[in-house]
Amino acid sequence: MTQHKSSSFRATLKQELPDWVRESIVTEEAAQQLTARYELDKLSKESSGLLAAVIFTLGGLLLGGGLLSFVAANWEEIPTVAKVILLLITLLAFHGVGYWLWHYKGWSRLGHALVFTGSLVFGANIGLMAQIFHVSGEWYGAFGAWALGSLVMAYAARSWITGVLALVNVVIWFLGISHAHQRTGMMVIPLLAAAIFLPLAWQLRSRVLYAATFVGFTIMLCSIAEQQHNSFKYILISLVICGFTTWAAGEFHRFKNIRPEFGNLLAGLGILTLGTISYVWSFHEWWQEGNWLNRAEAKPPTFYWLVPAGIAAIAGLTLIVMIMQEINALPTRRLLAIGITVASGILVICAMLGIAHRGDQMLLTLVVNLAALIIAAVAIAIGVMDERRAAFWAGTVFVVLLIISRFLEYETSLLLKSAAFTLCGLAMIMAGITYEKYLTRKEAHV
Amino acid sequence: MNKRTLFFAIAVAVQLVILLGVPARKVYTRATGRDIVLQVAPVDPYDVLKGYYVTLGYDISRPGAFPNAPTLAVNEVIYAIVEQAEDGIWKPIATAQELPQNLPANQAAIRGRWHQGRILYGIEEFSIPESKRDVIADDLNKNRNEARVDVKVDANGEAALLRLRIQDRVYE
Repeated sequence: MTQHKSSSFRATLKQELPDWVRESIVTEEAAQQLTARYELDKLSKESSGLLAAVIFTLGGLLLGGGLLSFVAANWEEIPTVAKVILLLITLLAFHGVGYWLWHYKGWSRLGHALVFTGSLVFGANIGLMAQIFHVSGEWYGAFGAWALGSLVMAYAARSWITGVLALVNVVIWFLGISHAHQRTGMMVIPLLAAAIFLPLAWQLRSRVLYAATFVGFTIMLCSIAEQQHNSFKYILISLVICGFTTWAAGEFHRFKNIRPEFGNLLAGLGILTLGTISYVWSFHEWWQEGNWLNRAEAKPPTFYWLVPAGIAAIAGLTLIVMIMQEINALPTRRLLAIGITVASGILVICAMLGIAHRGDQMLLTLVVNLAALIIAAVAIAIGVMDERRAAFWAGTVFVVLLIISRFLEYETSLLLKSAAFTLCGLAMIMAGITYEKYLTRKEAHV
Repeated sequence: MNKRTLFFAIAVAVQLVILLGVPARKVYTRATGRDIVLQVAPVDPYDVLKGYYVTLGYDISRPGAFPNAPTLAVNEVIYAIVEQAEDGIWKPIATAQELPQNLPANQAAIRGRWHQGRILYGIEEFSIPESKRDVIADDLNKNRNEARVDVKVDANGEAALLRLRIQDRVYE
């Protein structure tokens, strides 16, 4: 249960509870039940533990950096064999001491930080080893080796932060290798990465690693789409599919109550992705023919990027179908789901019309703006229904941004601009006041 | 040893194997290869990934240096056949697409890959010690035509860079 509630909620509850007992709002017994339910006794330990984890990780990084700098300062005087031994011992020391503190001494956060630093040292050692023996090669090869070693360590040590390190390395390696070797087999890598990192994040209940995997998949898919076509419309399709699937995954976690802690983050990330791309592509410049970003390269097009894109789209739609029953039970939720699906569909259709050189430029721009407005409306609605200020304000600011952008983009008189900006400002203030009053009323009602 | 510790030990072992695997090919070539000397020309003195090093070009890096150089696809393997000249430097004489067998003692074959109109042999990057960075860069700029490298070449044609020599100065 504690995983569903924020630390700030639990801290407030812990602070308020003694007063409630004193004022007979809740009984002593009820207070004890609440304390047990929300694990309030562990709160201070968790907070200090988090602080300790940050401090230990930073300390580990500085320690590693200090050691490497010390060695680097005396590097030339050290014989080759001694250099190699030194690199191996350093790696073993970080992992060995880290593991010993983590599992045998109960210093789990310090131990975890040292094991993570060990994987950073491993990456640095790959570079140093290549330097000692003058190993030449493609730059991304080192990231591939680093990714593999970090990934194995992330699974073995059950370390989410090492998993994030491995994921970042996989993405960097993929960007390098897919650019250098545009082979069909590349389409497997994003899917393989998702199949490897999602179960790890699931096991470790790591929201950061889980969301990062979706982001990594998106970057990899966009990379191969861009390399094969050199046209923004294919990137737009990739981004829409990934944004939609990320949102669908978030909704699945929320409605099915399976790992619900992943739900809000993923749904928010999905809407943020869709909102950002619809804003970026709401400018008419993108849809003008002859724009260099609209041209596919003269080489024969290959469409193997459509395989991971298609699988992602099917996964997203499947997740939505799986929660259809739960969504249908809540009409407002159904409306929001339809809104996101329709906006995603509009963006994909516009990109496809652009690829086929069909459709009026102005009409396409207008329709993309409409999709952006739908996404903004969904964010505002979530803010109202779930009483989430961040969503409400993000949606409101998005609407205002769209309006201001259009006025700055097109030739309009200063007077009209002035009127539009004034109205936007007033509308934003009014919306804010209304929203805050609404929240206050709801709180009073509760 | 419990299962958790065993998995952790395996992960550490994997990292060690990867780490030792990075220079494995070069170590083998250094141990089993024969010595040859190539003339070099510096190209690019800085790289952000590995710190400071010089990117070296050779006569044999240019396909035009060979009378029979074909045009190949990216990453296709090519063997440069070099012959020792009277001044001790090994000069390009021909290319082959298979590893040549039974070469005379004064000839060697070096395995390369075709890359953007050049041939790469895996000996193009020479790491520079930080304290000698400016000295080497200056030395290379002033004595561009006097730079040589000592290289080991093994039976498979793989090459490993040993040291950079500029006149009588040696950098390792």
